Amino acid sequence: MLEKTLQLSLNGLMAGAVLAVPAIGLTMIYAVLRFVNFSVAAHMAVGAYAGYMLNAWLKFSAWLAVVGAFVAAGAAGIASDHVALRPLRGYSALTIAIASIALNLMIESTIRFFFGGSPRDYAIPLRRDWTFGFLHVGPQQVENAAIALIAMALLFVFMMLTITGKAMRAVADNPMLADSKGIDPDRMARLAVGIGMGLAGIGGMLVGLDTSIDPLVGFRAILSVFAAAVVGGLGSVPGAVIGGLAIGLSEELSLLALPATYKSAIGFLAILVVLTFRPRGLLGAKTA
Amino acid sequence: MLSVTNVVAGYGAHDEVLKGVGMTVAERELVVLIGPNGAGKSTLLKSIAGFLKPREGAITFEGKPIGGLKPREITRQGIAFVPQEANVFPSLSVEANLEVGGYVDRRATKGRIHETFGRFPVLAERRAQEARTLSGGQRQMLAMAMALMAAPRLMLLDEPSAGLSPAAAQELFALIKGLHAAGMTIVMVEQNALDALEIADRGYLLVDGSNAREGRASALAADAEVRHAFLGG
Repeated sequence: MLEKTLQLSLNGLMAGAVLAVPAIGLTMIYAVLRFVNFSVAAHMAVGAYAGYMLNAWLKFSAWLAVVGAFVAAGAAGIASDHVALRPLRGYSALTIAIASIALNLMIESTIRFFFGGSPRDYAIPLRRDWTFGFLHVGPQQVENAAIALIAMALLFVFMMLTITGKAMRAVADNPMLADSKGIDPDRMARLAVGIGMGLAGIGGMLVGLDTSIDPLVGFRAILSVFAAAVVGGLGSVPGAVIGGLAIGLSEELSLLALPATYKSAIGFLAILVVLTFRPRGLLGAKTA
Repeated sequence: MLSVTNVVAGYGAHDEVLKGVGMTVAERELVVLIGPNGAGKSTLLKSIAGFLKPREGAITFEGKPIGGLKPREITRQGIAFVPQEANVFPSLSVEANLEVGGYVDRRATKGRIHETFGRFPVLAERRAQEARTLSGGQRQMLAMAMALMAAPRLMLLDEPSAGLSPAAAQELFALIKGLHAAGMTIVMVEQNALDALEIADRGYLLVDGSNAREGRASALAADAEVRHAFLGG
């Protein structure tokens, strides 16, 4: 029992680190634009397929392909936001969130049109699990967690140490005041969407590296991603990291008591509990 | 330096808070706007700062028309606006607030932060703290210091002493007096009209969105209508 718990915790932490990346994307976009952009799911797929083309067709390593996933999903995010959601600014957050679900369907259908619906695999070697005593861990899982941590570290440096990152946080705090300090809130919103969807793209590719990809690779994960962002507090980047780890851990540990089919209920349950007892999430300061 | 002519502005399509207001401010002047609640003092500052588009009239700064420019464009012209509330970024550290304050002139940021910390030791002590943890007086000091980070030639202060303790308000008035003595041009809205007139050069009394009186601060302070409006006497 102890061994199983430790093994599941290890799996959960690594899955949680991967989950945290698109959750940060979701929460960043929320922080600046104040609506939940559910098309994070489709942009995870955009990243997964961009990475797939670079890796399986052009023979780039997974590490390089991940950079491509970021760039492609980020560019797609800025373009899709500009065309589909930007004209709706000023409407209620709920209206825009619903529009983002429609946008999500359109992007996923576009991917299906070009690539079909059947699963595809990345060109990565099959490797034997590493064993530490009774613990087993897949090298790809470790690599994915490492890529996730590097992406988060780079984002942390950007947000905390660069003037552009500080300006973006200023816009999230108070867009009017930021404007009067010389910052263009629209430009910062575009940058937040680009980085946020880029992170979603990295997340999509990491999920795909662990299994396989199809147009719904992000859709299947979005509930957990959303739950991670809500648990941590919508709008809080450190919250999304903690939320991601918490959801990853809970989903894996639920296997101790529940059949694997119910794993996806954990996200629902987490959202329900957090919204009932602490609506602003663990680290959220502002009223959502 | 600043001239406002016949400005009509309001918050909705048919709402007129300002019904044709005029004001001129010369370089190095400290001008105070006084008047009852709802007279349009803050609205006038917001119109100059770019948060409201004047429907009629003209605003010029150093000879250039600035009416209808965006807040960030106004700031780049050399005008700093300090709002009454929500005038710092609560989740940013004190130091990050100052950096953002200097966003329009980033190359000078390092040196100016150094100067700021010399001038406001209380901010230096709290440089790494989130601005939300500051007291009212400290927050107002940070808001002023942020505005100064952009090296403005004109400062617009909206009720800087609102909500402060008498001691903190005194400290703030001393700071404003010091800036004025050093040559800064300042337009200030103040609820504490008589205190404000004491440190100002000139004043404008606005009533119901229109100019009611203007003149030397000392003359306004002695004016019967002003005393009536503020002291009920």
